[in-house]
Amino acid sequence: MSKMIRKANAFEILNHWVLAVSCFVLVISGFGFLFHLEELNSVFGSFSRMKAIHNWTGLVFVASLFLSMFDYLPVSLRYGAEDIGWIKTAGGYLSKRAVVPPQDRINTGQKFYYLALLAAGYAISASGFTLWFMAGNREAVLIAHLVHNICFDMVVIMIPVHIYLAAIVNPGALRIMITGMVPLEWARSHYGKWVKEMGYK
Amino acid sequence: MAQKKSLLISPEACIGCRACQTACKEWNQLSAAKTKNAGTFENPPDLNSSAFNKIHYVEFPVESGVRWLFVSQRCMHCDDAGCMKICPAQGALYRTAEGAVAYNKRKCIGCRLCASACPFNVPRFDANGKIAKCHMCSDRISAGLQPACAKVCTTGGIRYGDRDDLIAQARKAGYARIYGEADLSGLGTLYAFRDAPRLYGMNEKPAIPETVIFWNNVLKPLSYLGLGGAVALALFHYVTVGPKKHEEVDKGE
Repeated sequence: MSKMIRKANAFEILNHWVLAVSCFVLVISGFGFLFHLEELNSVFGSFSRMKAIHNWTGLVFVASLFLSMFDYLPVSLRYGAEDIGWIKTAGGYLSKRAVVPPQDRINTGQKFYYLALLAAGYAISASGFTLWFMAGNREAVLIAHLVHNICFDMVVIMIPVHIYLAAIVNPGALRIMITGMVPLEWARSHYGKWVKEMGYK
Repeated sequence: MAQKKSLLISPEACIGCRACQTACKEWNQLSAAKTKNAGTFENPPDLNSSAFNKIHYVEFPVESGVRWLFVSQRCMHCDDAGCMKICPAQGALYRTAEGAVAYNKRKCIGCRLCASACPFNVPRFDANGKIAKCHMCSDRISAGLQPACAKVCTTGGIRYGDRDDLIAQARKAGYARIYGEADLSGLGTLYAFRDAPRLYGMNEKPAIPETVIFWNNVLKPLSYLGLGGAVALALFHYVTVGPKKHEEVDKGE
């Protein structure tokens, strides 16, 4: 058994799951509103209750999104030669032979993904609060409704991609969000630059 | 479905007595709202949660003085109804067998999206935040009665009946264009105007907001197509390329 190193701390893991669960509740109830899924009444009780849960979960979501910036925003805005290499090899996902340069604490794809999620997340929250608190303001509601739904489409496309990459197609990656510990060798091959900077031998 | 029913408003026959307003309040058990004298007979000044219809009074200056026009305003019961399109709560707004847009307050979630999507700015909300508007007396018409406003109208200014019959009658009476005949796929409240509808404060080209149509036709289907597409793409990748093999994984950590 190789040496285990800490890739994510408890705060990061906990906040990730708060974000994930709130996002799931929002997406499921969102589909309920979009397509009048009365079946969801067995979960939420009624559309009125679903609306209340949707709105208040939105608060949890945006708070969690805000906290996530401490974990991911600085690294997502830091780019170097390894990111160009990542883009050139498409992250190694399309070929098993591709050699991807050693990556930072999160790889280039994760950086892009995070920035897109952050933008969509804030836009969907802002438009959601507009729908919630400015109901009755015709123009504001129409714009917010449009933005809310554009972001919804973005998010429902991004979520399965994230789950697939993190939990299915990359064996060993999921544990980062469970225990936070990964084998040194695994971390070196996925996040080589970061491992070196952290001074692991 | 039964023959589609409609209301036909004939402003030329209207004498502005407001019996329709009173009858509506009576049948629907709506309280009176206190208003201020604004120098016009128009009262209340706007539709509200306890005024589902009202007479709009227009004073239109002409050479010899003023033309005094009366027109009944209420929900138009659009066939292609923006409120029903955008409503996120199943069963809150529904179409009656007669073609009216009625509602179930218990299912209304009070989000007020309907008010934004309505081309006529009709939906109002009661003290509990639930929708309140003309429902063409859905309880009366389902029992074969006329809506209260049409029932009490003494001059034939508001008539209720089979939509096709009402249109044919208005044509025969010499009204070339009937407001609402084709708008929004056909309104359930028709108007026989001799003058330009604009004169009565009516929107000449009523339409559901374009953002709502775009959302309905594109964004809504894109949500499940996008989700399904992303899952399908992941599945395709898993089958063709497969999971990343890793030395350390291979060694069986």
